[in-house]
Amino acid sequence: MSSNKRLFWWLVAPGAIFLILFLILPLASIVVFSFWRTESYTLIPDWNLDNYIRILTDWTYIKFLLRSLSMATIVSLICLVFSWPIAFFIARYGGKFKLIYLLLTSAPFLTGEILRVTALQQILGPIGVINMALSTFGFEPIQALMYTNTATAIGLTYLWIPFMVLAIYLSLLNFDFELLEVAKVNGARPLRAFWEITWPLNRAGSAIGVVLVFIPTLASSITSKFLGGPNGALYGNILANQFGSTGTWALGSAMGVVLFAISLIVLYIVWKMVGDLKRSGVTIKGGAEL
Amino acid sequence: MTDTVLKLDNISKNFGPIKAADDINIEVGQTEFFALLGPSGSGKTTMLRMIAGLEKPDTGTISISGRDVTNEPPYRRGIGMVFQDFLLFPHKTVAENIMFPLKMQGASEKDKRENLQWVSNLVHLEGLEERYPHQLSGGQKQRVALARGLVSRPSLLLLDEPLANLDRELRKEMEVEIRRFQIELAIPFVYVTHNQEEAMTMSDRMAIMRDGKMEQVGEKFSLYHDPASQFVASFLGSPNAFEGVVSSVEEGIAQINWFGHSIRARAHDGLQPGDRAVCYVKSEKISMLESGGALTGVLRDIIFKGQYADYLVSLGDGHEITVSGAPMTGLKKGAPMHLDWDPGKADAFRAQGGAQ
Amino acid sequence: MTALRIGKGVQILLLAALYVFLYGPIIYITYVSFQANSVWPFPPEFTAKHYISLWNEENYHSGFVNSLAIGIGTGVIASVLATMAAVAILKYRVRRSVYIAGLFLMPLFIAHILIGVSSLMFNKMLLGLPGNIFSAILANATYATAFAFLVVVAQLARYDWRLDEAAMVFGATPGTTFREVTFPLIWPAILGAFIVSFLLAFNNLEISFYNLGATPTLPTLAWGSLRHGVSEELYALAALINVAVFIFLGVMYVLLRTGVVRLDYKD
Ligand SMILES: Nc1ncnc2c1ncn2[C@@H]1O[C@H](COP(=O)(O)OP(=O)(O)OP(=O)(O)O)[C@@H](O)[C@H]1O
Ligand SMILES: [Mg+2]
Repeated sequence: MSSNKRLFWWLVAPGAIFLILFLILPLASIVVFSFWRTESYTLIPDWNLDNYIRILTDWTYIKFLLRSLSMATIVSLICLVFSWPIAFFIARYGGKFKLIYLLLTSAPFLTGEILRVTALQQILGPIGVINMALSTFGFEPIQALMYTNTATAIGLTYLWIPFMVLAIYLSLLNFDFELLEVAKVNGARPLRAFWEITWPLNRAGSAIGVVLVFIPTLASSITSKFLGGPNGALYGNILANQFGSTGTWALGSAMGVVLFAISLIVLYIVWKMVGDLKRSGVTIKGGAEL
Repeated sequence: MTDTVLKLDNISKNFGPIKAADDINIEVGQTEFFALLGPSGSGKTTMLRMIAGLEKPDTGTISISGRDVTNEPPYRRGIGMVFQDFLLFPHKTVAENIMFPLKMQGASEKDKRENLQWVSNLVHLEGLEERYPHQLSGGQKQRVALARGLVSRPSLLLLDEPLANLDRELRKEMEVEIRRFQIELAIPFVYVTHNQEEAMTMSDRMAIMRDGKMEQVGEKFSLYHDPASQFVASFLGSPNAFEGVVSSVEEGIAQINWFGHSIRARAHDGLQPGDRAVCYVKSEKISMLESGGALTGVLRDIIFKGQYADYLVSLGDGHEITVSGAPMTGLKKGAPMHLDWDPGKADAFRAQGGAQ
Repeated sequence: MTALRIGKGVQILLLAALYVFLYGPIIYITYVSFQANSVWPFPPEFTAKHYISLWNEENYHSGFVNSLAIGIGTGVIASVLATMAAVAILKYRVRRSVYIAGLFLMPLFIAHILIGVSSLMFNKMLLGLPGNIFSAILANATYATAFAFLVVVAQLARYDWRLDEAAMVFGATPGTTFREVTFPLIWPAILGAFIVSFLLAFNNLEISFYNLGATPTLPTLAWGSLRHGVSEELYALAALINVAVFIFLGVMYVLLRTGVVRLDYKD
């Protein structure tokens, strides 16, 4: 082994071992537990498929899963559509303000989910400022904002749209905007040029953004708990319950495994849709001006 | 060579399918300025990086001052190096940059100061010691890079296209200076470039590289005047090329039929009558005669280059030959030209594609 | 031309709308945190009472200390591990290092709730360890390492590794090279990674919640308070945390922009 290779492994090993010990092993352990069963708050290593059969045949679980899936799909698409022009603007016209725009976009993300949801509750909901204002001035309050899935969707968009903007921005960083001039000279209108040039070259960023929004949205429980109301529960809430009051850890583990499996499938599908990564300006490399 | 400093034995290096070095053997002596010349991608930088220890050869040994350093890391080889883009440390001042090698050797403060003084005098950097690299001009950066390479009085200095980023004016000036440093310090310089003028100006000996192979190594004059391969003949100078069939070979001189003209040159590659050959004649080796000559034509254009001029001669059948010589006022476009050369100064090689 | 201008106009409008969307709630909650009436605080009636009750709430003190510990512990682990890996991958360009990069980015694609419950289950059921602040730090550090790795890689993409080679040729060992050349040039990236991972862990709910049991942190306290109908000191807390985040990011911005640090060496 050359000395460079040895140094490489010495530098990489601590982090890799750390991730294997504290991320991959625990994840593997819940795969094991998902085949066990729980009885009065203890796990019993009694190998069976009951948990999975229950999740995949009992309509309650399927219903919540479908609800979460559609929520995640809708929120990812909303984020995708709105983030594109924003990220494009920052990358193309941001100039020396790029960094400011980006920090402003990501700052709210760093305050954490719970405080952001707290802030949103003040805006949405029956006694949120929007509906309070409407009723104060004698208008009908907007029902859709009061503990509904719509409110949850708005909340999830609020939480995760910074990821999408960042992912698209990072892929646009390596994009040569002069290609658009070329397209224009050759007769393409702006939208056509976008569709022919910008989008195909930056699909990877969009794909990564979609996955980064989809996965936490699919698993979300806090937002739906506080903005969705009692009827707005999602898969994540049911999953959380198994580890809370009911103490059915094996079933919870199986639900977690299902969630993880779906994440992997989505990752795979999106990856396939992106197709040849080499043709779609891969992010990071080549000098991010973050 | 009794005073060999650098010795490469059977060095080979592959990057996947690419042969960046193919069985290279070089020796560089104590006071030699050795230029490594070759087209882009021929493996010059790789060669230098292997000497520096930044790349490990697949096979072969490298020794410096008689010590086998093949498996030594760069920081134990005791050499200096000047990099193409200078690679000055942006967070260190000029003085700190220059003293860096001494600091790494754990030299005393007094030593460092003395050597800094000496080397900044040598390369004319007085007064710039406290500046940062981004406050320097290109030529000044170049001098700092040189100073950093020389300050620890290494047994060998490697230079990788150190002048490539400078403008022509400055380059001419630095060429002379670098040569002066080398003579003054009496240590070997291994100088990589793809600019043959640069190599010619400065070096004692040169090596011509191509696709990881050494095409020819030797005194710069002999490389220029006696190329041993078709590649070297075509690469150095700006030669005219004539491709045709050998009609006879006598006493080492081949007679080549080139579109009905008879052309003569030294025969290489064991040329035999009937072989397809290509003949190179450097433009300044062609003489313009009053009458007769191997080739006749008319003067189509004169390109005045200052100390000399290029005369473009049309041969009537569409071919054109370039002749270099002293600028002459008497010649007018359209004048008849009679060209010839000493066959001992032209070289014919087997044409790529083999015999016919 | 006009189409282009319209396009650009739409983009600016959307960017503005994004900021209104993102900052509206934050600004509003900050405003509410100073209001006596939090439901319909118009006309304004300023008060500091929510801040005072936040200050008087003993729970929040220990929550703050615990959050700080989690943030610092996570920040240190994540930024060190991520920097080592990023340097290794970018500097040595070993074949197949993409897979290693994939491992370091993997946590980005795993829902936090899964990280939380799996480390809870692993510690409790297999190792018999009760949740505590250390297991919370370790679990937080997994995904924080991924973020730190992204930050460092994005910054180091501009670093010219040949500077390290130059140092080696002039006699610097790998360790000295890092101390003399690499670190002085890349420390802002490392600090940025620390700040980001610190903030993420400090404010994390889902992972800390499952690992900590009864030990309070600011986010778990906020969660509890929100669950029992909002108590108003939460507004004060949210406002303060937002200000803190802004200060941290301001520091980062200044470091990256004022030329204290010049990472833009490679043209
Ligand atoms: N790290 C590497 N990995 C793969 N191939 C490499 C590497 N370094 C060099 N090569 C290849 O080896 C060959 C020689 O490269 P080298 O840089 O030595 O050429 P050079 O003569 O210095 O060219 P130039 O004049 O353009 O600098 C080239 O084909 C190059 O693509
Ligand atoms: Mg080179």
